[in-house]
Amino acid sequence: MNPMSATPAPKNKFARTHPGWSVWLRRPSVTALSFAVLFAYAFFLLPTKDTAPPFLFYLSINLFIVLVLAFTGNILADPKKPEALKMIAALLLIAVFCWLFYRYSGAQWGRLKDFFFNWETLEGNWWILWQGLEVTLLLAFISGIGSVLVGLLIAVLRTLHSPTLNFFLKVYVDVFRSIPMIVVMVFIFFALPFMGISLGSIVTTILALSLGYGAYASECFRAGIESVHSGQLEAARSLGLSRWKTISKIILPQAFPVVIPPLTGTLVAMLKDTAVASIVAAPELLKRARELYTSETNPTPLVAAALIYLVVLIPLVRAVNVLENKLQKRRKV
Amino acid sequence: MFLRTSSRKGVKCKMNDTGAMIEVVDLHKRFKDLHVLKGISTSVKQSEVVAVMGPSGSGKSTFLRCMNRLEEPSSGHIYIEGIDILAPYIDINRVRTEIGMVFQSFNLFPHLTSIENIKLAPMSVRKISDQEATERGMALLDKVGLVDKAKVYPEQLSGGQQQRVAIARALAMQPQIMFFDEPTSALDPEMIGEVLDVMRNMAKEGMTMMVVSHEMGFIKEAADRILFLVDGLIVEDGTPDQIFNYSKNERTLEFLSKII
Repeated sequence: MNPMSATPAPKNKFARTHPGWSVWLRRPSVTALSFAVLFAYAFFLLPTKDTAPPFLFYLSINLFIVLVLAFTGNILADPKKPEALKMIAALLLIAVFCWLFYRYSGAQWGRLKDFFFNWETLEGNWWILWQGLEVTLLLAFISGIGSVLVGLLIAVLRTLHSPTLNFFLKVYVDVFRSIPMIVVMVFIFFALPFMGISLGSIVTTILALSLGYGAYASECFRAGIESVHSGQLEAARSLGLSRWKTISKIILPQAFPVVIPPLTGTLVAMLKDTAVASIVAAPELLKRARELYTSETNPTPLVAAALIYLVVLIPLVRAVNVLENKLQKRRKV
Repeated sequence: MFLRTSSRKGVKCKMNDTGAMIEVVDLHKRFKDLHVLKGISTSVKQSEVVAVMGPSGSGKSTFLRCMNRLEEPSSGHIYIEGIDILAPYIDINRVRTEIGMVFQSFNLFPHLTSIENIKLAPMSVRKISDQEATERGMALLDKVGLVDKAKVYPEQLSGGQQQRVAIARALAMQPQIMFFDEPTSALDPEMIGEVLDVMRNMAKEGMTMMVVSHEMGFIKEAADRILFLVDGLIVEDGTPDQIFNYSKNERTLEFLSKII
Protein backbone atom coordinates (compact mmCIF):
# COMPACT_ATOMS: atom_id res chain seq x y z
CA MET A 1 0.00 0.00 0.00
CA ASN A 2 2.44 2.58 1.18
CA PRO A 3 4.97 3.52 -1.52
CA MET A 4 7.31 4.87 1.15
CA SER A 5 7.59 1.54 3.00
CA ALA A 6 11.07 0.10 3.29
CA THR A 7 10.47 -3.37 1.89
CA PRO A 8 9.35 -3.36 -1.76
CA ALA A 9 6.30 -5.42 -2.59
CA PRO A 10 7.13 -8.82 -4.14
CA LYS A 11 6.68 -8.88 -7.87
CA ASN A 12 4.11 -11.27 -9.23
CA LYS A 13 1.36 -11.18 -11.82
CA PHE A 14 -1.18 -9.95 -9.26
CA ALA A 15 0.94 -7.07 -8.00
CA ARG A 16 -0.27 -3.50 -8.54
CA THR A 17 1.11 -1.86 -11.62
CA HIS A 18 0.49 1.63 -10.20
CA PRO A 19 1.12 3.20 -6.82
CA GLY A 20 -2.00 2.47 -4.78
CA TRP A 21 -2.27 5.82 -3.09
CA SER A 22 -5.76 6.72 -4.17
CA VAL A 23 -9.06 5.14 -4.98
CA TRP A 24 -9.35 7.60 -7.84
CA LEU A 25 -6.59 5.84 -9.73
CA ARG A 26 -7.56 2.33 -8.73
CA ARG A 27 -11.21 2.68 -9.65
CA PRO A 28 -11.68 4.47 -12.99
CA SER A 29 -15.45 4.02 -12.87
CA VAL A 30 -15.68 5.72 -9.47
CA THR A 31 -13.51 8.52 -10.77
CA ALA A 32 -15.62 8.98 -13.87
CA LEU A 33 -18.84 9.03 -11.85
CA SER A 34 -17.42 11.55 -9.38
CA PHE A 35 -16.33 13.84 -12.15
CA ALA A 36 -19.71 13.57 -13.81
CA VAL A 37 -21.35 14.66 -10.54
CA LEU A 38 -18.81 17.42 -10.13
CA PHE A 39 -19.35 18.83 -13.61
CA ALA A 40 -23.09 18.62 -13.32
CA TYR A 41 -22.82 20.47 -10.03
CA ALA A 42 -20.50 23.11 -11.35
CA PHE A 43 -22.27 23.77 -14.62
CA PHE A 44 -25.87 23.71 -13.56
CA LEU A 45 -25.78 25.08 -10.09
CA LEU A 46 -23.02 27.55 -9.48
CA PRO A 47 -23.41 29.94 -12.46
CA THR A 48 -27.06 30.58 -11.67
CA LYS A 49 -26.16 33.71 -9.76
CA ASP A 50 -27.06 36.94 -11.48
CA THR A 51 -23.54 37.44 -12.69
CA ALA A 52 -21.40 34.50 -13.73
CA PRO A 53 -18.34 34.17 -11.45
CA PRO A 54 -14.94 35.08 -12.85
CA PHE A 55 -13.09 32.17 -14.40
CA LEU A 56 -10.33 32.02 -11.81
CA PHE A 57 -12.81 32.02 -8.96
CA TYR A 58 -14.80 29.29 -10.67
CA LEU A 59 -11.64 27.23 -11.19
CA SER A 60 -10.58 27.59 -7.58
CA ILE A 61 -13.97 26.35 -6.35
CA ASN A 62 -13.74 23.34 -8.59
CA LEU A 63 -10.19 22.62 -7.48
CA PHE A 64 -11.38 22.80 -3.90
CA ILE A 65 -14.13 20.30 -4.64
CA VAL A 66 -11.67 17.98 -6.37
CA LEU A 67 -9.40 18.04 -3.33
CA VAL A 68 -12.28 17.34 -0.94
CA LEU A 69 -13.48 14.52 -3.17
CA ALA A 70 -9.99 13.03 -3.40
CA PHE A 71 -9.54 13.18 0.35
CA THR A 72 -12.92 11.84 1.42
CA GLY A 73 -13.18 9.34 -1.44
CA ASN A 74 -9.89 7.78 -0.45
CA ILE A 75 -11.20 7.27 3.07
CA LEU A 76 -14.63 6.06 1.99
CA ALA A 77 -13.31 3.47 -0.46
CA ASP A 78 -10.74 1.96 1.90
CA PRO A 79 -12.20 -1.16 3.56
CA LYS A 80 -9.59 -0.96 6.33
CA LYS A 81 -10.61 2.50 7.56
CA PRO A 82 -12.89 2.52 10.61
CA GLU A 83 -16.58 3.17 10.01
CA ALA A 84 -16.59 6.19 12.32
CA LEU A 85 -13.99 7.87 10.15
CA LYS A 86 -16.01 7.08 7.04
CA MET A 87 -19.09 8.61 8.65
CA ILE A 88 -17.13 11.79 9.38
CA ALA A 89 -15.81 11.85 5.82
CA ALA A 90 -19.27 11.39 4.34
CA LEU A 91 -20.72 14.13 6.58
CA LEU A 92 -17.83 16.40 5.62
CA LEU A 93 -18.48 15.78 1.94
CA ILE A 94 -22.17 16.57 2.32
CA ALA A 95 -21.42 19.66 4.43
CA VAL A 96 -18.98 21.00 1.84
CA PHE A 97 -21.44 20.56 -0.99
CA CYS A 98 -24.25 22.14 1.03
CA TRP A 99 -22.10 25.05 2.04
CA LEU A 100 -20.99 25.65 -1.57
CA PHE A 101 -24.61 25.52 -2.65
CA TYR A 102 -25.62 27.93 0.09
CA ARG A 103 -22.73 30.30 -0.54
CA TYR A 104 -22.37 30.36 -4.33
CA SER A 105 -25.65 29.25 -5.93
CA GLY A 106 -28.18 31.74 -7.22
CA ALA A 107 -30.78 30.74 -4.64
CA GLN A 108 -32.61 33.62 -2.95
CA TRP A 109 -32.28 32.51 0.63
CA GLY A 110 -33.78 35.62 2.11
CA ARG A 111 -37.01 35.39 0.17
CA LEU A 112 -37.18 31.67 0.80
CA LYS A 113 -36.97 32.32 4.52
CA ASP A 114 -39.63 35.03 4.40
CA PHE A 115 -42.02 32.72 2.61
CA PHE A 116 -41.53 29.32 4.09
CA PHE A 117 -39.80 29.83 7.42
CA ASN A 118 -41.57 32.92 8.65
CA TRP A 119 -42.11 31.64 12.18
CA GLU A 120 -43.75 34.91 13.24
CA THR A 121 -46.91 33.88 11.39
CA LEU A 122 -47.21 30.95 13.77
CA GLU A 123 -47.12 33.04 16.93
CA GLY A 124 -50.33 32.40 18.83
CA ASN A 125 -51.36 29.82 16.26
CA TRP A 126 -49.46 26.79 17.56
CA TRP A 127 -52.49 25.61 19.51
CA ILE A 128 -54.44 25.35 16.25
CA LEU A 129 -51.83 23.01 14.83
CA TRP A 130 -51.79 21.15 18.14
CA GLN A 131 -55.55 20.62 17.93
CA GLY A 132 -55.08 19.42 14.37
CA LEU A 133 -52.44 16.95 15.52
CA GLU A 134 -54.77 15.64 18.20
CA VAL A 135 -57.47 15.00 15.63
CA THR A 136 -54.95 13.38 13.27
CA LEU A 137 -53.72 11.01 15.97
CA LEU A 138 -57.26 10.18 17.02
CA LEU A 139 -58.24 9.45 13.42
CA ALA A 140 -55.13 7.33 12.93
CA PHE A 141 -55.69 5.41 16.15
CA ILE A 142 -59.32 4.53 15.52
CA SER A 143 -58.82 3.83 11.81
CA GLY A 144 -55.75 1.75 12.72
CA ILE A 145 -57.82 -0.46 14.97
CA GLY A 146 -60.54 -0.54 12.33
CA SER A 147 -58.24 -1.56 9.52
CA VAL A 148 -56.51 -4.23 11.62
CA LEU A 149 -59.91 -5.70 12.48
CA VAL A 150 -61.10 -5.57 8.86
CA GLY A 151 -57.80 -7.07 7.67
CA LEU A 152 -57.84 -9.81 10.29
CA LEU A 153 -61.44 -10.68 9.46
CA ILE A 154 -60.71 -10.96 5.75
CA ALA A 155 -57.52 -12.97 6.28
CA VAL A 156 -59.24 -15.38 8.68
CA LEU A 157 -62.18 -15.80 6.33
CA ARG A 158 -59.74 -16.58 3.54
CA THR A 159 -58.32 -19.48 5.55
CA LEU A 160 -61.67 -21.21 5.13
CA HIS A 161 -60.63 -21.74 1.49
CA SER A 162 -64.18 -21.42 0.23
CA PRO A 163 -63.87 -20.52 -3.46
CA THR A 164 -67.06 -18.46 -3.52
CA LEU A 165 -66.21 -16.50 -0.40
CA ASN A 166 -62.64 -16.05 -1.59
CA PHE A 167 -63.86 -14.58 -4.86
CA PHE A 168 -65.80 -11.82 -3.11
CA LEU A 169 -63.02 -11.16 -0.61
CA LYS A 170 -60.52 -10.85 -3.47
CA VAL A 171 -62.83 -8.43 -5.27
CA TYR A 172 -63.08 -6.33 -2.11
CA VAL A 173 -59.33 -6.30 -1.52
CA ASP A 174 -58.46 -5.57 -5.14
CA VAL A 175 -61.04 -2.81 -5.48
CA PHE A 176 -59.97 -1.02 -2.32
CA ARG A 177 -56.30 -1.40 -3.11
CA SER A 178 -56.75 0.19 -6.51
CA ILE A 179 -59.04 3.12 -5.60
CA PRO A 180 -57.24 6.23 -4.31
CA MET A 181 -58.21 6.97 -0.71
CA ILE A 182 -59.38 10.44 -1.73
CA VAL A 183 -61.98 8.93 -4.08
CA VAL A 184 -63.33 6.67 -1.34
CA MET A 185 -63.65 9.62 1.03
CA VAL A 186 -65.28 11.86 -1.54
CA PHE A 187 -67.73 9.09 -2.42
CA ILE A 188 -68.67 8.41 1.20
CA PHE A 189 -68.91 12.08 2.07
CA PHE A 190 -70.61 13.50 -1.01
CA ALA A 191 -72.39 10.60 -2.71
CA LEU A 192 -73.77 8.57 0.18
CA PRO A 193 -76.04 11.42 1.38
CA PHE A 194 -77.96 10.98 -1.88
CA MET A 195 -78.69 7.42 -0.74
CA GLY A 196 -79.91 8.71 2.59
CA ILE A 197 -76.69 8.03 4.51
CA SER A 198 -75.12 11.21 5.83
CA LEU A 199 -71.88 10.76 7.73
CA GLY A 200 -69.79 13.43 9.40
CA SER A 201 -66.29 14.14 8.20
CA ILE A 202 -64.65 12.29 11.11
CA VAL A 203 -66.79 9.18 10.65
CA THR A 204 -66.23 9.36 6.89
CA THR A 205 -62.48 9.41 7.37
CA ILE A 206 -62.46 6.55 9.86
CA LEU A 207 -64.71 4.47 7.63
CA ALA A 208 -62.74 5.13 4.46
CA LEU A 209 -59.36 4.51 6.08
CA SER A 210 -60.55 1.35 7.85
CA LEU A 211 -62.04 -0.11 4.69
CA GLY A 212 -59.15 0.92 2.46
CA TYR A 213 -56.26 0.06 4.73
CA GLY A 214 -58.14 -3.02 5.95
CA ALA A 215 -57.63 -4.34 2.43
CA TYR A 216 -53.89 -3.74 2.70
CA ALA A 217 -53.77 -5.14 6.22
CA SER A 218 -55.56 -8.29 5.08
CA GLU A 219 -52.76 -8.93 2.62
CA CYS A 220 -50.19 -8.54 5.42
CA PHE A 221 -52.10 -10.98 7.59
CA ARG A 222 -52.56 -13.40 4.72
CA ALA A 223 -48.83 -13.43 4.00
CA GLY A 224 -48.16 -14.08 7.69
CA ILE A 225 -50.73 -16.85 7.91
CA GLU A 226 -49.37 -18.49 4.78
CA SER A 227 -45.85 -18.36 6.21
CA VAL A 228 -46.88 -20.76 8.97
CA HIS A 229 -46.01 -24.31 7.99
CA SER A 230 -48.96 -26.49 7.03
CA GLY A 231 -47.75 -29.13 9.50
CA GLN A 232 -48.70 -26.75 12.32
CA LEU A 233 -52.29 -26.71 11.10
CA GLU A 234 -52.34 -30.50 10.81
CA ALA A 235 -50.86 -30.98 14.27
CA ALA A 236 -53.42 -28.63 15.79
CA ARG A 237 -56.32 -30.22 13.93
CA SER A 238 -55.15 -33.74 14.82
CA LEU A 239 -55.33 -32.76 18.50
CA GLY A 240 -58.97 -31.93 18.04
CA LEU A 241 -58.61 -28.15 18.17
CA SER A 242 -61.44 -26.40 16.38
CA ARG A 243 -60.77 -24.23 13.37
CA TRP A 244 -61.09 -21.05 15.41
CA LYS A 245 -58.85 -22.35 18.22
CA THR A 246 -56.28 -23.44 15.64
CA ILE A 247 -56.23 -19.98 14.14
CA SER A 248 -56.19 -18.05 17.41
CA LYS A 249 -53.78 -20.25 19.38
CA ILE A 250 -51.48 -21.72 16.76
CA ILE A 251 -51.56 -19.84 13.47
CA LEU A 252 -51.89 -16.19 14.51
CA PRO A 253 -49.26 -16.25 17.30
CA GLN A 254 -46.78 -17.64 14.78
CA ALA A 255 -47.90 -15.33 12.00
CA PHE A 256 -47.63 -12.25 14.23
CA PRO A 257 -43.86 -11.66 14.02
CA VAL A 258 -44.07 -12.04 10.26
CA VAL A 259 -47.05 -9.69 10.04
CA ILE A 260 -45.76 -6.91 12.28
CA PRO A 261 -43.25 -5.23 9.92
CA PRO A 262 -45.47 -4.93 6.82
CA LEU A 263 -48.55 -4.20 8.95
CA THR A 264 -46.90 -1.34 10.78
CA GLY A 265 -45.62 -0.03 7.48
CA THR A 266 -49.22 -0.04 6.28
CA LEU A 267 -50.42 1.70 9.44
CA VAL A 268 -47.75 4.39 9.13
CA ALA A 269 -48.85 4.93 5.52
CA MET A 270 -52.38 5.20 6.89
CA LEU A 271 -51.34 7.83 9.40
CA LYS A 272 -49.90 9.84 6.54
CA ASP A 273 -53.09 9.35 4.56
CA THR A 274 -55.17 10.94 7.33
CA ALA A 275 -54.05 14.16 5.61
CA VAL A 276 -56.44 13.27 2.80
CA ALA A 277 -59.27 13.83 5.29
CA SER A 278 -58.75 17.57 4.82
CA ILE A 279 -60.67 17.13 1.54
CA VAL A 280 -63.82 16.34 3.51
CA ALA A 281 -63.02 19.09 6.01
CA ALA A 282 -62.09 16.86 8.92
CA PRO A 283 -60.27 19.26 11.26
CA GLU A 284 -56.99 17.34 11.24
CA LEU A 285 -53.45 18.69 11.07
CA LEU A 286 -53.18 19.45 7.37
CA LYS A 287 -56.65 21.02 7.28
CA ARG A 288 -55.77 23.28 10.20
CA ALA A 289 -52.44 24.18 8.56
CA ARG A 290 -54.22 25.05 5.34
CA GLU A 291 -56.65 27.28 7.23
CA LEU A 292 -53.71 29.12 8.75
CA TYR A 293 -52.04 29.30 5.34
CA THR A 294 -55.12 31.08 4.01
CA SER A 295 -55.64 33.39 6.97
CA GLU A 296 -51.97 34.35 7.28
CA THR A 297 -51.35 34.30 3.50
CA ASN A 298 -48.08 32.56 4.18
CA PRO A 299 -47.16 28.89 3.66
CA THR A 300 -45.09 28.59 6.84
CA PRO A 301 -47.91 26.73 8.67
CA LEU A 302 -47.70 24.06 5.97
CA VAL A 303 -43.97 23.70 6.62
CA ALA A 304 -44.68 23.49 10.33
CA ALA A 305 -47.28 20.79 9.68
CA ALA A 306 -44.75 18.89 7.58
CA LEU A 307 -42.24 19.08 10.44
CA ILE A 308 -44.88 17.87 12.90
CA TYR A 309 -45.67 14.88 10.65
CA LEU A 310 -41.94 14.16 10.54
CA VAL A 311 -41.53 14.40 14.31
CA VAL A 312 -44.48 12.07 14.87
CA LEU A 313 -43.66 9.52 12.19
CA ILE A 314 -39.91 9.04 12.56
CA PRO A 315 -40.06 7.76 16.17
CA LEU A 316 -42.95 5.51 15.14
CA VAL A 317 -40.93 4.01 12.31
CA ARG A 318 -37.96 3.51 14.64
CA ALA A 319 -40.18 1.95 17.31
CA VAL A 320 -41.48 -0.46 14.69
CA ASN A 321 -37.93 -1.56 13.93
CA VAL A 322 -37.13 -2.11 17.60
CA LEU A 323 -40.31 -4.12 18.09
CA GLU A 324 -39.55 -6.17 15.01
CA ASN A 325 -36.07 -7.06 16.29
CA LYS A 326 -37.46 -8.00 19.69
CA LEU A 327 -40.08 -10.28 18.18
CA GLN A 328 -37.48 -11.95 16.02
CA LYS A 329 -35.19 -12.48 18.99
CA ARG A 330 -37.98 -13.95 21.07
CA ARG A 331 -38.69 -16.34 18.25
CA LYS A 332 -35.09 -17.49 18.21
CA VAL A 333 -34.88 -18.15 21.97
CA MET B 1 -67.12 -31.48 -3.47
CA PHE B 2 -70.86 -31.78 -3.80
CA LEU B 3 -70.51 -35.23 -5.26
CA ARG B 4 -68.72 -36.44 -2.16
CA THR B 5 -71.39 -35.20 0.23
CA SER B 6 -74.27 -36.56 -1.79
CA SER B 7 -72.65 -39.95 -2.14
CA ARG B 8 -72.18 -40.02 1.58
CA LYS B 9 -75.77 -39.15 2.28
CA GLY B 10 -76.84 -42.49 0.80
CA VAL B 11 -74.78 -44.29 3.39
CA LYS B 12 -76.60 -45.69 6.38
CA CYS B 13 -74.66 -44.50 9.38
CA LYS B 14 -75.31 -47.55 11.47
CA MET B 15 -73.22 -48.91 14.27
CA ASN B 16 -70.87 -51.61 13.16
CA ASP B 17 -70.68 -54.32 15.78
CA THR B 18 -67.56 -56.22 14.90
CA GLY B 19 -65.98 -55.23 18.19
CA ALA B 20 -62.99 -53.78 16.39
CA MET B 21 -61.45 -50.48 17.47
CA ILE B 22 -61.02 -49.38 13.88
CA GLU B 23 -62.89 -50.84 10.95
CA VAL B 24 -62.08 -49.60 7.46
CA VAL B 25 -64.32 -50.61 4.59
CA ASP B 26 -63.42 -50.05 0.94
CA LEU B 27 -61.58 -46.77 1.51
CA HIS B 28 -60.78 -44.75 -1.61
CA LYS B 29 -58.85 -41.51 -1.93
CA ARG B 30 -58.38 -39.59 -5.13
CA PHE B 31 -56.34 -36.41 -5.58
CA LYS B 32 -57.86 -35.13 -8.82
CA ASP B 33 -56.53 -37.66 -11.37
CA LEU B 34 -54.37 -39.54 -8.91
CA HIS B 35 -56.03 -42.57 -7.37
CA VAL B 36 -53.99 -43.03 -4.19
CA LEU B 37 -56.07 -45.46 -2.14
CA LYS B 38 -57.91 -48.02 -4.23
CA GLY B 39 -60.21 -49.71 -1.77
CA ILE B 40 -58.63 -50.50 1.56
CA SER B 41 -60.47 -52.72 3.99
CA THR B 42 -59.08 -53.82 7.29
CA SER B 43 -59.79 -53.79 10.98
CA VAL B 44 -57.74 -53.13 14.06
CA LYS B 45 -58.61 -54.61 17.43
CA GLN B 46 -58.19 -52.92 20.78
CA SER B 47 -54.57 -52.87 21.99
CA GLU B 48 -53.36 -54.12 18.66
CA VAL B 49 -50.15 -52.63 17.22
CA VAL B 50 -50.33 -52.54 13.46
CA ALA B 51 -47.35 -51.60 11.34
CA VAL B 52 -48.04 -50.19 7.89
CA MET B 53 -45.25 -50.82 5.42
CA GLY B 54 -44.77 -50.37 1.74
CA PRO B 55 -42.71 -48.64 -0.91
CA SER B 56 -42.82 -44.86 -1.12
CA GLY B 57 -45.90 -43.54 -2.88
CA SER B 58 -47.93 -46.58 -1.94
CA GLY B 59 -50.38 -44.48 0.10
CA LYS B 60 -49.30 -45.38 3.64
CA SER B 61 -49.38 -41.82 4.96
CA THR B 62 -52.55 -40.97 3.07
CA PHE B 63 -54.21 -44.05 4.58
CA LEU B 64 -53.32 -42.90 8.08
CA ARG B 65 -54.32 -39.30 7.42
CA CYS B 66 -57.64 -40.38 5.98
CA MET B 67 -58.49 -42.15 9.20
CA ASN B 68 -58.59 -38.94 11.22
CA ARG B 69 -59.76 -37.00 8.20
CA LEU B 70 -56.73 -34.77 7.82
CA GLU B 71 -57.42 -35.88 4.27
CA GLU B 72 -61.05 -36.32 3.32
CA PRO B 73 -61.60 -39.84 1.96
CA SER B 74 -63.23 -39.91 -1.46
CA SER B 75 -65.41 -42.90 -0.60
CA GLY B 76 -65.65 -45.79 1.83
CA HIS B 77 -66.39 -46.10 5.52
CA ILE B 78 -64.30 -45.72 8.61
CA TYR B 79 -65.73 -46.93 11.91
CA ILE B 80 -64.01 -45.94 15.13
CA GLU B 81 -65.42 -47.96 18.02
CA GLY B 82 -68.29 -48.83 15.70
CA ILE B 83 -69.21 -45.25 14.78
CA ASP B 84 -68.99 -44.16 11.16
CA ILE B 85 -66.80 -41.06 11.38
CA LEU B 86 -67.56 -40.05 7.79
CA ALA B 87 -71.22 -39.52 8.63
CA PRO B 88 -72.46 -35.96 8.17
CA TYR B 89 -73.50 -35.50 11.80
CA ILE B 90 -70.07 -36.40 13.14
CA ASP B 91 -68.05 -33.66 14.87
CA ILE B 92 -64.65 -34.57 13.54
CA ASN B 93 -62.89 -32.59 16.29
CA ARG B 94 -64.35 -34.98 18.87
CA VAL B 95 -63.17 -37.94 16.82
CA ARG B 96 -59.69 -36.47 16.64
CA THR B 97 -59.49 -36.14 20.41
CA GLU B 98 -59.68 -39.94 20.50
CA ILE B 99 -56.90 -40.36 17.94
CA GLY B 100 -53.43 -39.09 18.74
CA MET B 101 -51.16 -38.44 15.81
CA VAL B 102 -47.39 -38.19 15.63
CA PHE B 103 -45.84 -36.73 12.51
CA GLN B 104 -42.60 -37.32 10.69
CA SER B 105 -41.60 -33.67 11.09
CA PHE B 106 -42.71 -33.47 14.77
CA ASN B 107 -44.81 -30.33 14.14
CA LEU B 108 -44.37 -29.03 17.66
CA PHE B 109 -45.69 -25.51 18.11
CA PRO B 110 -42.49 -23.43 18.05
CA HIS B 111 -43.97 -20.48 19.95
CA LEU B 112 -44.78 -22.65 22.99
CA THR B 113 -42.55 -24.47 25.48
CA SER B 114 -42.70 -28.25 25.78
CA ILE B 115 -45.16 -28.18 28.65
CA GLU B 116 -47.28 -25.53 26.92
CA ASN B 117 -47.34 -27.68 23.80
CA ILE B 118 -48.69 -30.53 25.88
CA LYS B 119 -51.14 -28.43 27.92
CA LEU B 120 -52.68 -26.55 25.03
CA ALA B 121 -55.12 -29.13 23.69
CA PRO B 122 -56.34 -30.55 27.03
CA MET B 123 -56.98 -27.03 28.31
CA SER B 124 -58.71 -25.60 25.25
CA VAL B 125 -60.54 -28.72 24.08
CA ARG B 126 -61.11 -30.78 27.23
CA LYS B 127 -61.41 -27.57 29.30
CA ILE B 128 -59.40 -28.92 32.22
CA SER B 129 -57.72 -26.50 34.62
CA ASP B 130 -54.21 -25.17 34.12
CA GLN B 131 -53.03 -26.92 37.25
CA GLU B 132 -54.43 -30.30 36.29
CA ALA B 133 -53.10 -29.96 32.75
CA THR B 134 -49.66 -29.09 34.11
CA GLU B 135 -49.68 -32.09 36.44
CA ARG B 136 -50.74 -34.42 33.66
CA GLY B 137 -48.27 -32.84 31.28
CA MET B 138 -45.39 -33.26 33.71
CA ALA B 139 -46.37 -36.90 34.25
CA LEU B 140 -46.28 -37.43 30.48
CA LEU B 141 -42.94 -35.66 30.18
CA ASP B 142 -41.70 -37.97 32.91
CA LYS B 143 -42.95 -40.91 30.89
CA VAL B 144 -40.95 -39.82 27.84
CA GLY B 145 -37.98 -38.88 30.01
CA LEU B 146 -37.99 -35.13 29.45
CA VAL B 147 -39.11 -33.56 32.74
CA ASP B 148 -36.07 -31.28 32.72
CA LYS B 149 -37.05 -29.90 29.30
CA ALA B 150 -40.53 -28.73 30.33
CA LYS B 151 -39.80 -25.01 30.07
CA VAL B 152 -37.72 -25.29 26.90
CA TYR B 153 -38.79 -24.22 23.43
CA PRO B 154 -38.79 -26.88 20.69
CA GLU B 155 -35.92 -25.18 18.86
CA GLN B 156 -33.56 -25.99 21.72
CA LEU B 157 -34.44 -29.69 21.66
CA SER B 158 -32.83 -32.37 19.55
CA GLY B 159 -34.93 -34.18 16.96
CA GLY B 160 -35.44 -37.19 19.20
CA GLN B 161 -36.45 -35.01 22.14
CA GLN B 162 -38.87 -33.05 19.94
CA GLN B 163 -40.50 -36.25 18.76
CA ARG B 164 -40.85 -37.49 22.34
CA VAL B 165 -42.52 -34.21 23.32
CA ALA B 166 -44.80 -34.62 20.29
CA ILE B 167 -45.77 -38.08 21.52
CA ALA B 168 -46.45 -36.69 24.99
CA ARG B 169 -48.55 -33.94 23.42
CA ALA B 170 -50.66 -36.50 21.57
CA LEU B 171 -51.02 -38.62 24.72
CA ALA B 172 -52.17 -35.62 26.74
CA MET B 173 -55.58 -35.88 25.11
CA GLN B 174 -55.79 -39.44 26.48
CA PRO B 175 -56.59 -40.91 23.09
CA GLN B 176 -57.83 -44.45 22.48
CA ILE B 177 -55.71 -44.80 19.37
CA MET B 178 -52.29 -43.50 18.33
CA PHE B 179 -51.18 -43.00 14.75
CA PHE B 180 -47.49 -42.66 13.95
CA ASP B 181 -46.63 -41.33 10.50
CA GLU B 182 -42.98 -42.28 9.98
CA PRO B 183 -42.04 -41.06 13.46
CA THR B 184 -38.32 -41.80 13.12
CA SER B 185 -37.67 -40.99 9.46
CA ALA B 186 -36.54 -37.43 10.12
CA LEU B 187 -34.25 -38.40 12.99
CA ASP B 188 -30.52 -38.89 13.15
CA PRO B 189 -29.70 -42.59 13.68
CA GLU B 190 -28.57 -42.18 17.28
CA MET B 191 -31.92 -40.63 18.26
CA ILE B 192 -34.17 -43.27 16.76
CA GLY B 193 -33.76 -45.59 19.74
CA GLU B 194 -35.09 -43.17 22.35
CA VAL B 195 -38.29 -42.59 20.35
CA LEU B 196 -38.82 -46.27 19.64
CA ASP B 197 -38.38 -47.02 23.36
CA VAL B 198 -41.25 -44.70 24.18
CA MET B 199 -43.38 -46.35 21.51
CA ARG B 200 -42.51 -49.83 22.79
CA ASN B 201 -43.65 -48.85 26.27
CA MET B 202 -46.92 -47.56 24.89
CA ALA B 203 -47.45 -50.82 23.04
CA LYS B 204 -46.79 -52.75 26.25
CA GLU B 205 -49.33 -50.63 28.10
CA GLY B 206 -51.96 -51.73 25.64
CA MET B 207 -52.36 -48.68 23.41
CA THR B 208 -53.97 -49.32 20.04
CA MET B 209 -51.37 -48.15 17.55
CA MET B 210 -50.97 -47.81 13.82
CA VAL B 211 -47.40 -47.13 12.82
CA VAL B 212 -46.10 -46.25 9.38
CA SER B 213 -42.48 -47.22 9.77
CA HIS B 214 -39.66 -49.23 8.31
CA GLU B 215 -37.89 -49.88 11.59
CA MET B 216 -37.59 -53.64 11.26
CA GLY B 217 -36.37 -54.21 14.80
CA PHE B 218 -39.23 -52.32 16.33
CA ILE B 219 -41.82 -53.94 14.09
CA LYS B 220 -40.57 -57.49 14.76
CA GLU B 221 -40.64 -56.89 18.47
CA ALA B 222 -43.67 -54.70 19.04
CA ALA B 223 -46.06 -55.12 16.13
CA ASP B 224 -48.86 -57.66 16.23
CA ARG B 225 -49.60 -57.29 12.53
CA ILE B 226 -48.15 -55.82 9.41
CA LEU B 227 -50.19 -54.30 6.62
CA PHE B 228 -48.20 -54.25 3.44
CA LEU B 229 -49.42 -51.56 1.02
CA VAL B 230 -48.54 -51.37 -2.66
CA ASP B 231 -50.14 -48.84 -5.01
CA GLY B 232 -53.04 -48.10 -2.69
CA LEU B 233 -53.97 -51.66 -1.94
CA ILE B 234 -53.19 -54.00 0.95
CA VAL B 235 -51.27 -56.82 -0.68
CA GLU B 236 -50.39 -58.62 2.52
CA ASP B 237 -51.75 -58.73 6.02
CA GLY B 238 -50.10 -60.91 8.62
CA THR B 239 -47.89 -61.23 11.66
CA PRO B 240 -44.31 -59.97 11.35
CA ASP B 241 -43.14 -63.58 11.37
CA GLN B 242 -45.42 -64.52 8.47
CA ILE B 243 -44.41 -61.55 6.40
CA PHE B 244 -40.71 -61.43 7.09
CA ASN B 245 -40.07 -65.18 6.97
CA TYR B 246 -42.77 -66.87 4.90
CA SER B 247 -43.98 -64.26 2.44
CA LYS B 248 -44.48 -65.51 -1.12
CA ASN B 249 -45.57 -62.12 -2.49
CA GLU B 250 -43.19 -60.81 -5.15
CA ARG B 251 -43.61 -57.13 -4.24
CA THR B 252 -43.14 -57.83 -0.56
CA LEU B 253 -39.99 -59.83 -1.12
CA GLU B 254 -38.59 -57.16 -3.44
CA PHE B 255 -39.29 -54.43 -0.91
CA LEU B 256 -37.92 -56.40 2.04
CA SER B 257 -34.73 -57.20 0.14
CA LYS B 258 -34.21 -53.46 -0.34
CA ILE B 259 -34.67 -52.34 3.23
CA ILE B 260 -32.85 -55.15 5.02
